[in-house]
Amino acid sequence: MIEVEQVSKRYGSVEALKNVTLRAPKGRVLGLLGQNGAGKTTLINIITGYLAPSEGRALIDGHDPLLEPDLARRELGYLPEHPPLYDEMTVEEYLAFAAALKLVRRDAIPAHIREIMVKTGLLEMRERLLGHLSKGYRQRVGVAQALCGDPDTLVLDEPTAGLDPKQITEIRALIRRLSAGKTILFSSHNLAEVRQLCDHVVILHRGEVRLDAPIGDVGQQDGITLQCTVQGSERRLLAAMAHLDGVRDVCAQPACAEDEVCLTLRFDRGALPEKQVFTLCSALSAPILRMTRCEDDLEQAFLRAISE
Amino acid sequence: MLTIFKRDFLAYFRTPVGYVFLGVFAALTGVIFYLGNLATLSGELLIFLSQLTMLIMLLTPVLTMRLLCEERQRRTDQLLLTSPISLTRIVLGKYLAATAVLLIAIALTNVCVLVIAMYGTVYPGEWFVGYLGFTLQAMAFLALDMFVTGFTRNPVSAAIAAFAANFLFWMTDLLADKVGVPFVADTLRFVSLYDRYEPFIIGQLSFASLLYFVTFIALCLIATVRVMDARRFSQGGAA
Repeated sequence: MIEVEQVSKRYGSVEALKNVTLRAPKGRVLGLLGQNGAGKTTLINIITGYLAPSEGRALIDGHDPLLEPDLARRELGYLPEHPPLYDEMTVEEYLAFAAALKLVRRDAIPAHIREIMVKTGLLEMRERLLGHLSKGYRQRVGVAQALCGDPDTLVLDEPTAGLDPKQITEIRALIRRLSAGKTILFSSHNLAEVRQLCDHVVILHRGEVRLDAPIGDVGQQDGITLQCTVQGSERRLLAAMAHLDGVRDVCAQPACAEDEVCLTLRFDRGALPEKQVFTLCSALSAPILRMTRCEDDLEQAFLRAISE
Repeated sequence: MLTIFKRDFLAYFRTPVGYVFLGVFAALTGVIFYLGNLATLSGELLIFLSQLTMLIMLLTPVLTMRLLCEERQRRTDQLLLTSPISLTRIVLGKYLAATAVLLIAIALTNVCVLVIAMYGTVYPGEWFVGYLGFTLQAMAFLALDMFVTGFTRNPVSAAIAAFAANFLFWMTDLLADKVGVPFVADTLRFVSLYDRYEPFIIGQLSFASLLYFVTFIALCLIATVRVMDARRFSQGGAA
């Protein structure tokens, strides 16, 4: 579990973090979102004990990494933004070194790092020098070193930054596999990634927490937005849909074909928009050509959070 | 500590640094031995060792410049400083790795001792006292360099600053002669690494000097740990 209690960090007159409080319970994946310079890496550095806060404290499983480094950091796996790799070491040597740093018993290290290499798909690369690896593999090695010592808490700072789409998919799949039973905090610029992987999202802006909510609740305060393309009379459809349960507003946009209409419907939270629209269109003999629930709630919430 | 020691020691020989250090040290030692002993037909072991001091002062920054600066530059310090290993163990492990390479270099100088022994006499006591003093002085330079390099992020700046610090601590006794204030002059003489090494050059086993070198090394290492710890509270991270 990660707890951040009223953490502030000042660099001279610049306040990088202002009274940040957040909590990532055990078994949850918490996504940390924010623009460049929002304070994500500073917050992560404080959580891992790399930096000390000016005020407040961060706890890992109830232990302060600055006051009880051995207890707090034993349960922590950390992948910094730039994987901390020694180019002159092989993958296997590096992971053995990382495992020894995490105080894994010397005789248990070979089996332990083999298990990690299998999990992260690095077994075939174990003899390769780190300096000769591609960016995607370097990132994997970074994740692998974070897994050394089997920590309960993983902190991943932009784990997919700079990777190609295939590598991104692989790293995401890896994070998803790892998420069972572990507390994971990861920062990202990618909203879709946070939506896919996280249970909870925290949006930081100029060092302040602007949003702290379960991912399912993000954007839901604005209700549900449905976009559908229907064949039929625009006037008739608009009039009928305005009377659906929980509908807030309905508007129509020009469609590609003459007898088609694109409708945007906004419903209250808890309404069942798809079912109602389908039943209504069926009764009006107006075929639904396409119907989508808008998935950009997080994007809207993010833009709103950083503009307030 | 052993984990850090092993990694850093091997890193010297997986990069050119260890080979360059040993190669340059051995080559220049040969030149100094030729000029000071072979060319003049001198069998003076202690003088030969004292002449190597300048070489040690010049080259120990090469060993220390990578220990902390390069970790910061490559950001590998984030691995070390977020691990359960204490800062003290990290600093000690790194210092001992550099010391091990230094001891290899010092051990290589025994080739010159063998040459002296072949054509003259080397007394075991003289050998022991000479090498003890020389090794401790070299280890003191190494500890001082490690402390100085803890302040910088760039390895080249670190090496230059370390050499300047070595030179300053070595020649403070010369400054002392020019200072009129007795207290300042006494202090400068007290901290001079050359003054502390002088008894060994004339074959004396000075316990005061031994104690001084050991204390000096310990203080430099403690100060290095404090510098790294203090950096957690400043901008750039701990190492």
